[in-house]
Amino acid sequence: MSNYGWLKTFLMFVLAFAMQSSVGDWLKILDVGPDFVVIFLVSVSLRYGAATGCFWGFLAGFTLDVYAPVEWLGANAIAMTIVGFAVGQLEEHFLTINLPPKIGVLGLAFFVNDMFYFLITGLEKDVVTTLFVTRTVPECIYTVVIGGILFYLTSGKKSNV
Amino acid sequence: MLRAFRFIVDLFTQRHGVVAFAFFLVLGILMHASSTTVRESIVSTALSSVFYPVQLLVSSVNDFKSLQAENEHLKEENARLRQETYHASEGLQELARLHTLVRFDDKWDFPIVTSRVVGHNPGRFLTTLVINRGTHHGVKDNMPVFSMNGLVGKISKAMLTHSRVQLLVDPNLKLSVLERRTRVVGFLESVDGHLLSAMIPSHAGVAEGDTLITSGLGGIFPKGIPVGTVHKVRKADLDVMSLMDVQPFQEFSTLEEVFVMQKEPDWIIQELLNE
Repeated sequence: MSNYGWLKTFLMFVLAFAMQSSVGDWLKILDVGPDFVVIFLVSVSLRYGAATGCFWGFLAGFTLDVYAPVEWLGANAIAMTIVGFAVGQLEEHFLTINLPPKIGVLGLAFFVNDMFYFLITGLEKDVVTTLFVTRTVPECIYTVVIGGILFYLTSGKKSNV
Repeated sequence: MLRAFRFIVDLFTQRHGVVAFAFFLVLGILMHASSTTVRESIVSTALSSVFYPVQLLVSSVNDFKSLQAENEHLKEENARLRQETYHASEGLQELARLHTLVRFDDKWDFPIVTSRVVGHNPGRFLTTLVINRGTHHGVKDNMPVFSMNGLVGKISKAMLTHSRVQLLVDPNLKLSVLERRTRVVGFLESVDGHLLSAMIPSHAGVAEGDTLITSGLGGIFPKGIPVGTVHKVRKADLDVMSLMDVQPFQEFSTLEEVFVMQKEPDWIIQELLNE
């Protein structure tokens, strides 16, 4: 990745968190909102590969961990590092991914991220089941819709950095 | 220097990112497995050095934008409050007389520190806030935090100029509550970092719409701060207890200002916390 690529990704990182803190709250329907951080991570990992995906996944996860209960420190960082690496592998093996598979990857990444997060935090089984039904599924659908729109809007502007 | 940097970058990017993956994974696991003191230190350092300055800057820009509108609003409010002050002073005198009559001793005579919320969790689970008041302003760990609407949480870590607030929805915060109508005591917690639930003895007959306040037991929160209303009553694993979904009076994601009550934990609780 070039210096320009790093700068661009850093700005995307800041933008994702800014949107999560502002637009994310406004877009909430019945307390369900999209996750711009996962959209950012999938987008970067697909574009730049596994190593970059791990780096930004860890950084994004750590940022979330700082504001999470101290007892869960590292849970987001580990989950997002795994997601960044796994999604980045797709870039390595399938260099060009069209829009529909990209959206599918986003949905899958969301699930994997949540499952690892719940696993690491050690929440009870029935709590995880409730969270899965009431939070993960609706938020995944919402994130996929918003992510799909963002992927579509940015797909024509992809540059080789 | 450049060569060394290049070497590190190559090391991390080779083998399809496996080295980078292993490195960050181990780093995450080490963080997660470390002791509470180390974790506190990591979070405090990261918050003080990077996240707080950035959030303070963003927050200041937003504040500047809304300053004019706020000024207008404050003028109107000032006029209204002048009127109300007169009535309030009358009421206070009456209240003082009544307190003496009933020997009421649960006064909140603790100083209050007003603070601004400068940051909150950008993720989906909101469990922590950052406020712009710290030890420099008299804020200490475990002081109660509340808003105009009700209880918000407590100070989990006070730093020099800012503090972290542990919200009621943090699964690690459990507090004793009192139902206002039946006067029965139960405890409140959040098991999933999202919804609040209370365990209250079934025989009390607590119903939907009843109000929960802090009980004063536990030594951290004083008695009588409004917490929330009972939204739904469910059966608990134990027949003698009822599990209730609680709707807090304060919506945490929209908080802009909070008040810190300069009440330190009772000495016995302080001893336990220190241990």
